[in-house]
Amino acid sequence: MNKTKNFLSILALAVFLNFIAFGQTKIAPLDIKQRTLANGLKVVSVQDNSNPRVTVQVWFNVGSKNDPNGRNGFAHLFEHLMFKSTKNLKSEQFDRLTEDVGGDNNAFTSDDVTAYHEVVPSNYLETLLWAEAERLSNLNVDDANFKSERAVVQEEFRQSVLAQPYGQFYEAIQKNSYTTHPYKRTTIGTIEDLDAATATDAQNFHNTYYRPDNATLIVVGDFDQKQLDDWVDKYFTKIAKPMGAIPRVTAVEPARTTEKRLTVKAPNVPLPAVAITYLAPDSKSKDIAALKVAQAILSGGESSRLYQELVYKQQIAQEASFGVDERVDKGLLNFTAVMASGKTPEQGEKSLLAELKKIQNAGVSAKEIEKAKNTLVADTLRELETNRGKAFAIGNGVIYENDPTFVNREIKDLQAVTASDVQRVMKQYFADNNRVVIYYVNDDAAQKEAK
Amino acid sequence: MNNEKSKMKNISKLFAAAAFLLLPFALTGNAQEQPPAPSAPREVKIPAVKNSDLPNGLKIAVVERHNLPLVTVSLLINNAGAALESKDGLANATASLLTKGTKTRSATQIAEQIEFLGGDLNAGAGWNSTVVTLNITSDKLEQAMAIMSDVVLNPTFAQSEIDLFKSQTNDELTVALKQPGSLASFVASRYTFGEHNAVGTPESLNSIANSDISSFYRQSYTPNDAVLVFAGDTSNEQANLLANKFFGSWKKSLPEEVETYRGRAIENNKVSNKGVVQNILVIDLPNSGQAAVTYAKKLDIGRIRRFVVNNGGTKTLTAENYYPSIVTNTILGGGYSARLNSEIRIKRGLSYGASSGLSSRNNQTNLLARVQTKNVSAAEVAELVASEINRLGTSLAETTELTPRELTLTGAFGSSLETTNGLAAKLVDLYTFGLNPDELNSYMTNVRGVSSQQVKDFAAANFGGGDIIIVGDYKIFADDLKKRFPNQKIEVIPASQLDLNSQTLMKK
Repeated sequence: MNKTKNFLSILALAVFLNFIAFGQTKIAPLDIKQRTLANGLKVVSVQDNSNPRVTVQVWFNVGSKNDPNGRNGFAHLFEHLMFKSTKNLKSEQFDRLTEDVGGDNNAFTSDDVTAYHEVVPSNYLETLLWAEAERLSNLNVDDANFKSERAVVQEEFRQSVLAQPYGQFYEAIQKNSYTTHPYKRTTIGTIEDLDAATATDAQNFHNTYYRPDNATLIVVGDFDQKQLDDWVDKYFTKIAKPMGAIPRVTAVEPARTTEKRLTVKAPNVPLPAVAITYLAPDSKSKDIAALKVAQAILSGGESSRLYQELVYKQQIAQEASFGVDERVDKGLLNFTAVMASGKTPEQGEKSLLAELKKIQNAGVSAKEIEKAKNTLVADTLRELETNRGKAFAIGNGVIYENDPTFVNREIKDLQAVTASDVQRVMKQYFADNNRVVIYYVNDDAAQKEAK
Repeated sequence: MNNEKSKMKNISKLFAAAAFLLLPFALTGNAQEQPPAPSAPREVKIPAVKNSDLPNGLKIAVVERHNLPLVTVSLLINNAGAALESKDGLANATASLLTKGTKTRSATQIAEQIEFLGGDLNAGAGWNSTVVTLNITSDKLEQAMAIMSDVVLNPTFAQSEIDLFKSQTNDELTVALKQPGSLASFVASRYTFGEHNAVGTPESLNSIANSDISSFYRQSYTPNDAVLVFAGDTSNEQANLLANKFFGSWKKSLPEEVETYRGRAIENNKVSNKGVVQNILVIDLPNSGQAAVTYAKKLDIGRIRRFVVNNGGTKTLTAENYYPSIVTNTILGGGYSARLNSEIRIKRGLSYGASSGLSSRNNQTNLLARVQTKNVSAAEVAELVASEINRLGTSLAETTELTPRELTLTGAFGSSLETTNGLAAKLVDLYTFGLNPDELNSYMTNVRGVSSQQVKDFAAANFGGGDIIIVGDYKIFADDLKKRFPNQKIEVIPASQLDLNSQTLMKK
């Protein structure tokens, strides 16, 4: 029975939907429904009744770039507080409504976005819509909850930054790659700024950024569209749109004009590392697609250029990568290598830059382009396997492209990239005088925080 | 108590702040609005598994799912786990080197060809088995399986590839040994579980010769104790055709009777004092950014029960206490709302996360609870963990706790079946223990059937008497640890003196 139903739905898709053909592999576009409520809340949904589960997500246009001054880490701390009490929800009641009934919930914060996501058995959809509306309108943080959750976030800092041999390396990349834009602060923040934060800051932050016209509700999975629309109307339309504009970051990161070099020391770093960073165009730039293809060619898998050269042939690095770290404003283009034992960051820098020069001077082959595209198509399919993955793809489109349907054209954008596009962007964004070079080395006396 | 008080405070504050927003709620006349109740649930459909065998003994299992053009193919080789290796890390080295060269393809060509198809092909060994996994879009399945079969049937284990593998793995181990959490698990393997780390140690890897690898391969890689699992966009017919085409020529190389585990369990000479905590071991890692606090216990029950049936053969069933064991663990530390995380993170803010897990073997089960905390809180966290272990075995969980935790477990199980990769992994897990794939269908019922009394009894009999192992900056928590565990001997080994190859864990 199961099989028959799936088989029929495949046939139906093949007939009615406009397949995006790519090589042999095809991806059916998501049937995305969207509307905007009078209070500004954007609502995006994709119905899929194949499994009786549904994801409910709310993506807010606020991230660590919006941390108040002297409160680095606040947007993320605030994310944790959204699981505490509201007028009609007890602390941790979200867990009662998700985990306790066979679902789950989580949230994440980055520079540009804070997203809350649950997966529940689909008979709990109405319950979750009510609960999301509730914490959007009625958050109420008390001091005890605030302090206990702040301590949790400080442990998160210790676990992800201090207790990881390369935690401070990734911190150093972000802190030293920007001069002006608030992206120069990390999302996790600092122990000192977290210490300075108060419950009152939290209420202010909620009032400022957690409003319907700064949010997108995304629902993907097992529901009836009409029923969903009715529930959304019932629970979300009554939330008022506050007066006044939402404050936005206006700082503009200036183009770099000279090379910057530094060495960062940390304890318990068994192998040194090197990073070479460049500023990326903003996430809506047409060049992002070509940079992503370059990323796949340079560091996608063991046949990639960096693995083959630095790890396999020269055997100077334990890992070597190039990544497009996208942001709404200028993101980062990072070459990184963790060196093999006995090898130096200088050797890593030299070999990474040689690979950059090679691609700038000689470009890439047609076969590499095809391999990169095949990989990117397969990656996209894997992302779309689950309801949560589909909703993430939609949410990323909302934040980074201002387009919930971006997932349906991303493959076309990637497909359109040519070898000359790749060579052009690698020349355009990477120069000797616009890079930041960071060496990361061991120093057992360098621990920042003893306790 | 505290909760009640703070809740009342919240309400009064909120009325002032957002009264007008709450008008529809206020009209109902209730200060507290209740969440809308759920509607009737829809049943989760567990996909059907089709089984067949090739003449060489290779078992085929197929689960069809056609919503996306994706397939996962996993080859489980039961006979090639770390439990059976003569040198630590040999099984994993052998598996990892499969994709590093065959009679007709170099390592670079294998990577090049698989990645050109948009696929990935990985091989590795754990304690129980070796697994080779291919993820691929369904239109390229046949091309990719040609490569998968080549790496399994024709590996060459070239010297240069062995050397590179060893130096890369050594470097990975060096990094892992500087992380308090992973270092603690390595120590627990040897100290409490009587096992060794399946990746090996720098020294054991160094001792592995080419001949060790090729002879392990010859002895262990055989179709008659292997299962080829297909999950995703393929048909039973296509899967069987491909299995036959690419693995039909694989020759049996072992007698029918598969050798039983010859695990080199290490007898440690620890003293039993019958308490909740048997031993406390500290690995002193100066300047560690946090302390990792673990509780480790070897449970003397395996995942399976084998018995002889009338015709002289053997039959395998899930051990009676498997489901009580996983429910007990879920109450202790399986999920955000489980007891460890509630007490340590939610109530006290002492960690970003506290959890516990069970790792199954045929003949034992390893319980490991893990928490990372600031060094100064390490002893407090250790005490909280011990107290939760004690509570599990001494008082009954209320239904209001048991039912949600059972649903957490069944919900996570359902979620894990949503991807072809997750589906294949679940089947691999069942076949690892020779279990019937029908377990997929009975899993949820079996979990829901576990009672509070079973949990308490299981915990009382099995969870206590384990070891606390802490990796962290000892000078910061030494006094507190002695104060909180006054009657217990605390063994301290400086990380610089730690030797994971030695029974005593100390360098000579």
